Amino acid sequence: MNPYSGVSFFSFFPVMMKRIFLFFSGDVGSLASDEVQLLVLICIALSSALLGTFLVLRKMTMLANSLSHTILIGIVGAFFLSRFIFNRDEGIYTIHFPTLLIGAVITALLTTISTEFFHKKLRLQKDASIGLIFTSFFALGVIFVTVLSRNSHLGVEAIMGNVDALHPNHIKQVFYLLLVNAIFVFLFFRRLEVISFDQDLAKNFGISLLFFNHLLMFQTALTAVGSFRAVGVFLFLAFLVAPALTARFFTHRLKPLLFLAGGIGTFAALISVALSRHFLSVYHLPLATSGLAAVILGALFLGGALHKLRKG
Amino acid sequence: MCLSSSLMGTLMFVRKRSLLGETISHATYPGIVLSGFLGAFLGKLSLLSTLFLFLGGATLFAYFGLEIIEKIRNRLRIHFDAALCLILSLSLGIGVVFASRMQFISPLWYQQTQTFLYGQAATMNDAHVLIYGILSLFVFLFIVLRYREIELSLFDRAYGKGLGVPLLKVYRFIFLFLILSIVVGIRSVGVVLMAGMLIAPAAAARSFTDRLAVLLPLSAFLGIVSGFGGNYLSVLFSERGYHLPTGPMILLFAAIITFFSLIFAPKKGIVSRLIRMNRFRRRCQSENILKTLWKGGKKTSLSHQEILKWNALGPLRLKGALFKLQREGWVTKEGKGKVILTSDGLKKAEHLVRLHRLWELYLVSCLKADEERVHYSAEEMEHILTPNLETRLSELLNNPTIDPHQKPIPRGNEP
Repeated sequence: MNPYSGVSFFSFFPVMMKRIFLFFSGDVGSLASDEVQLLVLICIALSSALLGTFLVLRKMTMLANSLSHTILIGIVGAFFLSRFIFNRDEGIYTIHFPTLLIGAVITALLTTISTEFFHKKLRLQKDASIGLIFTSFFALGVIFVTVLSRNSHLGVEAIMGNVDALHPNHIKQVFYLLLVNAIFVFLFFRRLEVISFDQDLAKNFGISLLFFNHLLMFQTALTAVGSFRAVGVFLFLAFLVAPALTARFFTHRLKPLLFLAGGIGTFAALISVALSRHFLSVYHLPLATSGLAAVILGALFLGGALHKLRKG
Repeated sequence: MCLSSSLMGTLMFVRKRSLLGETISHATYPGIVLSGFLGAFLGKLSLLSTLFLFLGGATLFAYFGLEIIEKIRNRLRIHFDAALCLILSLSLGIGVVFASRMQFISPLWYQQTQTFLYGQAATMNDAHVLIYGILSLFVFLFIVLRYREIELSLFDRAYGKGLGVPLLKVYRFIFLFLILSIVVGIRSVGVVLMAGMLIAPAAAARSFTDRLAVLLPLSAFLGIVSGFGGNYLSVLFSERGYHLPTGPMILLFAAIITFFSLIFAPKKGIVSRLIRMNRFRRRCQSENILKTLWKGGKKTSLSHQEILKWNALGPLRLKGALFKLQREGWVTKEGKGKVILTSDGLKKAEHLVRLHRLWELYLVSCLKADEERVHYSAEEMEHILTPNLETRLSELLNNPTIDPHQKPIPRGNEP
């Protein structure tokens, strides 16, 4: 049934073009699994490029990393919330979204606030407090997982993601996420710009750094939770950091940076899905698509770095 | 394992590179997975060679990760944190690709590599213990034998260079042993939690001492304690029917120790800091009351209301402060609800005023400060200046008698 089965890397794109054409002429009944993967990955790539650019500029990447660990607790919390409070018996991949949202919000707040508490009140070094907080939260998450579900598989899946288990409904979800992120960036574009490049100026304008830090972390948590089932929280981090860093080799202006980062992320998503299909149909090797995406992001980063070095 | 990781963690902590461990431990993951591959191809292996295979793979990739981070940071001018995140997520991605392949070739080896992710202390046996013990011993010996060089390279590089210490070499060794301690650690607490094991004992120990020579053994001790504690709790719970993973338990134990020592440590803990701040504030308040009494006419008594007019205090707080001042013999009661300075109190208040005015004069005449603005600075300094500083100020200003506002500077020392 899948029009992509047996298709190699190079014929993947013609087939895709044909499908898109068919889609607009209304002849496609349902989306093939490759297309679902592709759409989900592209949405995630775009939203994380939007956020990631600001995170990299604000030098908040480590906080995002910390969040990608602590999100486990949010996910576990949402899992049990849905199981015990809403009485819904669901697997980790089908938790209904509002519950996940609550989990994400709580996690984001908990992480940032407790890290700030350790740093400001207990006077621990900034990076040490980040490291301490996320590892202990993560440990707590792992313990909860094992105690309550007697199955540590959940943890592995949450981290690694499983693109192949995606459902067409997820497209809607990640699309909404992208929409939320895009609106956020669009609305606050000027303020975010000022904050990213000149904090003193931002203070003079009366822009609340604290508010935007929290908002940014909140968005990141939201996107992480939305995308963990596709790429896993760690590879979400790759989508967050790598495109923005690569784009920075080529431009220093914010708007081109955002577009370039988005483009790089989308490109990596495209290639990874096609490549994963290629491996499957030519060599009969099922490889993790999310992992491939990260490898491609790495390769792109390397390319950008070489370009930069050659230019001096 | 706890010993070596807490020792190396301390070194990283004082260099403010705590999160480096996080990335390096993640960078080992593809190494482990690839070793698993190799193992699957080689077929049946003895336990010891399996162990060495994993150790070798992990060490190699950790080293690669470290090198790449340094390259990225130095040649491309990318912020350190961003470089860390990048390498961390990319190496995990590479690991995932290979792991997904291995899942189908050899589920057995796949299982084994996945234990490294969260760690599994329970499945370790004597051979593991022996090898890890020896590796930890290496780390320990390195620090003990090369303590002086390490200290110099961490804190005083210029001096170390002058003494001819091969700093670059020392750095290389420090990072080598950091990798070693991480490789030792990941089998029991897992790739993800390793960073915490590096940070927690060091952070806890740091709240007790300032000296590296004390810091290292203390953090090693705390690391070992949390190792035992976590294991004990894990066993305790498993007797009750809950099977908790040991690695996270160890880490949680360490985190709790850290949390409590950050709060309750004698000098640097938040509690003692708050107490100290509070004490200082109280002292300032009582001294200000004395000054008010002095200014209010030296030998006439003042009622509580009159004192409150000049001091931003609550009435209850004032009563407490006055009670303490009475007990210490600076003021006495006179009439209904009025207080007056004793002769000692008079001297003390005079001395405070002297310090205040001396400081004002110093600011104006030596630092050329605006005389309208020196009052607030002096309001603070009068509580801080020591007798030693006072004599030196006085000498510097040629024993002055008049302050910038043409008021007399009283003579006399602290009673």
